[in-house]
Amino acid sequence: MNLSFFDQFMSPSLLGIPLVLISMLFPMLMFPSLNNRWIPNRLTTLQLWLLHLITKQLMTPLNKKGHKWAIILSSLMIFLLTINLLGLLPYTFTPTTQLSMNMALAFPLWLATLLMGLRNQPSMSLGHLLPEGTPTPLIPALILIETTSLLIRPLALGVRLTANLTAGHLLIQLISTATTVLLPIMPTVSLLTTAILLLLTILEVAVAMIQAYVFVLLLSLYLQENI
Amino acid sequence: MLSRLVLRAAPAALRALPPPPVAVGVLHATRQLHTTQQSLAPLPPLPEKGGEVRHGLIPEEFFQFLYPKTGVTGPYMLGTGLVLYLLSKEIYVINHETVAAACILSVIIYGVKKFGPDVAAFADKLNEEKIAKALAVKNEAIDTLQTAIDEEKKEQWRVEGRTYLFDAKRNNVAMLLEANYRERLMMVYNEVKKRLDYQVAMQTLKRQKEQDHMIQWVEKNVVQSITPQQQKESIAKCILDLKALSKGAHATL
Repeated sequence: MNLSFFDQFMSPSLLGIPLVLISMLFPMLMFPSLNNRWIPNRLTTLQLWLLHLITKQLMTPLNKKGHKWAIILSSLMIFLLTINLLGLLPYTFTPTTQLSMNMALAFPLWLATLLMGLRNQPSMSLGHLLPEGTPTPLIPALILIETTSLLIRPLALGVRLTANLTAGHLLIQLISTATTVLLPIMPTVSLLTTAILLLLTILEVAVAMIQAYVFVLLLSLYLQENI
Repeated sequence: MLSRLVLRAAPAALRALPPPPVAVGVLHATRQLHTTQQSLAPLPPLPEKGGEVRHGLIPEEFFQFLYPKTGVTGPYMLGTGLVLYLLSKEIYVINHETVAAACILSVIIYGVKKFGPDVAAFADKLNEEKIAKALAVKNEAIDTLQTAIDEEKKEQWRVEGRTYLFDAKRNNVAMLLEANYRERLMMVYNEVKKRLDYQVAMQTLKRQKEQDHMIQWVEKNVVQSITPQQQKESIAKCILDLKALSKGAHATL
C-alpha cells in the first residue's frame, strides 16, 4: 500500500462500489440510540449532556421562530464534529475534506436563511446591507461591499471547512512522511519532527472541533439576522 | 397456474383450520411465538460495570476463550505473531500513515488515561443529581404530609379540650355577670348611704348651730349680767384664794 498524498482525499470505493455514503453515515453508529431509561449509562448521559449544551448555546440568541432550526443545527454540529474527529484516525476518509460535500451543506442552508429573511421581513433583511451610522457619501460603495459579503457567505462557509481540514490532513501527512524518511538518516531530527507531529495532532483535534462549531455558529448567526 | 390452484383451494383450507385460540402468543399449539414476558415494566436493571476489556480494546472473554488451550500468554503470542506476519509479508506497509497513527493513538490514549476517570465521575455526578432531585421532591412530599398528619393530630387533641375551654368561658362570663351585679348593688348602697348621710349631716349641723347659738346667747347674757361690783368681789376673792394657795404651797415645801 504505497500511498500518495492524494489517496486520503479520494472518494473511497471498493471494487467500483462507492463507499462514500457509508463513510458519511458511519459516525452515526458512534451514538447509541436512546432507550426508555431515565438514568441511562455513562455514554448516553454524556451524549445527552453534550447535545443539551450545544442546543442551548445555539438557541439562546434566537427568538421563538428560530427554535424550529434546533434539530437541523444541532444534528449538523454533531455530524461535523464526529466526521472531523474520526478523520484524524489513520487510513480514514474524511468526507468534509471534499468541497462538494461542504458546499452541499453550506449553500442550501445559507440560501434557506436568506430566502426566509427576504420572505418574512424583506425590508429588514435588505437593511442589513447597510450598517448603521455610515456617512452618506460612503453608502453606495458600502452597499456593494455588503452585497458581495452576503453573496460570498456560502462559499466562505464551505471553503473554510474544506480548507482547514484538508490543510490539516495534508500537514499531518507531510510531516509524518518527513519523519519516516528521516528516521534512518538523521534519527534526532526525526524525533524532533515527531514532536512537531504530536503538537500538530493536538492542534488538529482542536481545529476539528472548532471548525464544526464555527460552521454551525455562523449559520445560526445568519439565521438570527434573517429570522 | 399453480397460484390459481392455491387461490381456489385457499378458502376450503382456511375453513379446515382449527379456530384460532384465545391465548395471545400461541399461533399453533405446537409453536410459541413470544418467549419473553413482553412487558416493559419493570425494566431489567443495567449491569453495574461494562464488559471487562484488556488493553482497552480486547474483551476479557477472548483471553478466557484461549486460556484452556494456550494458557496466559496465548493471546499475546497470537497478537505478536499476527503483527509480525503482517509486517514481514508487507500486508501492512510501514508508511507515513503509521507515524501519524502512532501520534494520534498516543494522543488518544493519553487523553483517555488522564481525563477518563474525571469524565466518568462527571457523568455519574449528572445522574446522581438527577436522582437526588427526584428524591428531594419525594422526601419533601413525605415531610409535608408528615407535618400535615402531625398538625391534624394536634387539631384533634385540641378538639378534645374544647369542652374545658367552653366551661372556662362560661365560668368567666358568669363571674363577669356576678361582678357586675355586685358592683351595681354596691353603687345602690353607696348612693342610698350618701343621701342618708346628707340628711344626718343636715340634722347634726342644725343641732350644732342651735347649740352654738344657745351657748352664745347664754354667755352673752351671763357676761351682761355680771355687774362691776360683782366683778371686783370675784377678783378680790381670787386674790385671797391665790394667797391661801401660795401659803399652802410654801408650807408643803
